[in-house]
Amino acid sequence: MKKLIFAAFIAFWASVMTVAALSWLSPEPVARDDSALPEYTLEEVAEHNTLDSCWKAIEGKVYDFTDYIPDHPTPPRIMEAWCGREATEAMRTKGIGRDHSPAAWAMMEPYLIGRLVEED
Amino acid sequence: MSASMARKLVWAIALLPLAFFLSGLTAADFADIQALLNMLGRLTGVLGLAFLLLSAALSARVPGFDQPFGGLTKLWHSHHLLGAASLLLLLAHPVLLMLAAAGHGQDVAMATLFPPLSDIATWSGWLALVLMMIFLAPSFAFFGPPNYERWKRIHALAGPAAILALIHTFLFSRTMPMNLDTWVWSLLALLAVGAMAWRFVFSRRIGRLNHKLVAVDRVANNVIELTLAPGRRRLKYHAGNFIYMTPYDNRLEAGHGEEHPYTLSSSPTEENLRVAIKDLGDASRAIQTIEPGCRVTVEGPYGRFFPTSDTTESSELWVAGGIGITPFLARMRHLVALGEGGDIQLIYCVQDEARLLYANELTELADRIPGFVLTHHFFYQEGPISVEFLKENCSNLDQREVYICGPMPLNRTVQSHLRSIGLPYSRIHTEEFELL
Repeated sequence: MKKLIFAAFIAFWASVMTVAALSWLSPEPVARDDSALPEYTLEEVAEHNTLDSCWKAIEGKVYDFTDYIPDHPTPPRIMEAWCGREATEAMRTKGIGRDHSPAAWAMMEPYLIGRLVEED
Repeated sequence: MSASMARKLVWAIALLPLAFFLSGLTAADFADIQALLNMLGRLTGVLGLAFLLLSAALSARVPGFDQPFGGLTKLWHSHHLLGAASLLLLLAHPVLLMLAAAGHGQDVAMATLFPPLSDIATWSGWLALVLMMIFLAPSFAFFGPPNYERWKRIHALAGPAAILALIHTFLFSRTMPMNLDTWVWSLLALLAVGAMAWRFVFSRRIGRLNHKLVAVDRVANNVIELTLAPGRRRLKYHAGNFIYMTPYDNRLEAGHGEEHPYTLSSSPTEENLRVAIKDLGDASRAIQTIEPGCRVTVEGPYGRFFPTSDTTESSELWVAGGIGITPFLARMRHLVALGEGGDIQLIYCVQDEARLLYANELTELADRIPGFVLTHHFFYQEGPISVEFLKENCSNLDQREVYICGPMPLNRTVQSHLRSIGLPYSRIHTEEFELL
């Protein structure tokens, strides 16, 4: 028992340290050029405010989450409330003051469809 | 309630959050390897916290509560197992969640493990885990055998660790359907807090009985027997029980105001308590020079070495090693006091004749108990006790209930001999005094 626990203790720190070292040694990801993305205004986003077509503006970008909603951990109505809107607040607070996880932020990437621009 | 029932009940409560967790799973949790790793990461967190809280609840040491488990040392075995399982699960917990996030890139994995400092939920979990490693390191002898008092002080970090782990869980809290999270964790937290409240508040006020040290007998050069006269409230106990005793004597080099477990060597029929103490550590060494007159407090009784200590219902074999004679001495004194007898064979194992404790009294007591046979085994002459020695010196060995109390090597040797002749575990009773 003592040996098993000690082995697990060492394995834990070894894995954590490895991830930290890899992350420190790897090159910084190159910032992607978003300028080629289509431009949308909040007015255009607002047209997609249903579960059948759900767009959201988050931190200056526009996402189409229509296909993702069934996979989200909460019931669909939670996300539906933010369809067609500026939803940065929902992402950052989940309505309970807690940010979404880094993994959740990364999961948005495939649903990115454009940039948010001011209306003329 | 039987010991196995009591243990099963503990594990059932420990697994309760798992049942709720599983009931909240959907197909999406198994959709791909990332979802699966994430689900396992949350599952290990849920189980680990449940085990941690229940382990804390079991550490309360409420007198009587250990009885269904077959004594406090057996209860602590469950405490120890739950704690070990909890640490293993909680070590896996962040690693699994990190691996689940690694599917989105290395930087996401890193950010999952080490988010910005403003992420209180994650950092409270981290702090709880680091505290756990600190307070469990001596328990699993990471850096050699621990010193008892230091171990105890470090182990108290379990309190803050559990609180931080609860904060961590309440902040995340999306592991179970509806509001079950809140209910389940509140219930387990209440059990743990109740246990701690007993240990650190109530047991000090109502659990500790005042006694006065009235006599000190020198049994051997490293063993003393204390006689304690009760104050207003008397301790009710059975022969073979043990207590936690706290001496209050400023002149002691170590152990003043510290509680330590000692076996009672007196018969419950006696007016006073008697406690035999061998020099095994700092406090038990210092107490060898204690003088009568000081105040001591006594908390207990604990242990259930003998299921019935007043009478002898079946043939018994007792195997004692060194200071492990104490519970047997108590029972012999008790049988003599009650005028009871029984088919009892005592094998007392020591290194050589000079190390026999209570040699004269044991011979005398053995003579006065009808049916009692006392045999000695000397390690320096005969080597480790053999199965042949047991067979030669104990008639119908395979028919007896066996009680073993002594150092772990002796305990293990005798147990393996008994197993080799087909004695079932249910007939082998042991009292361990090495707690870690």
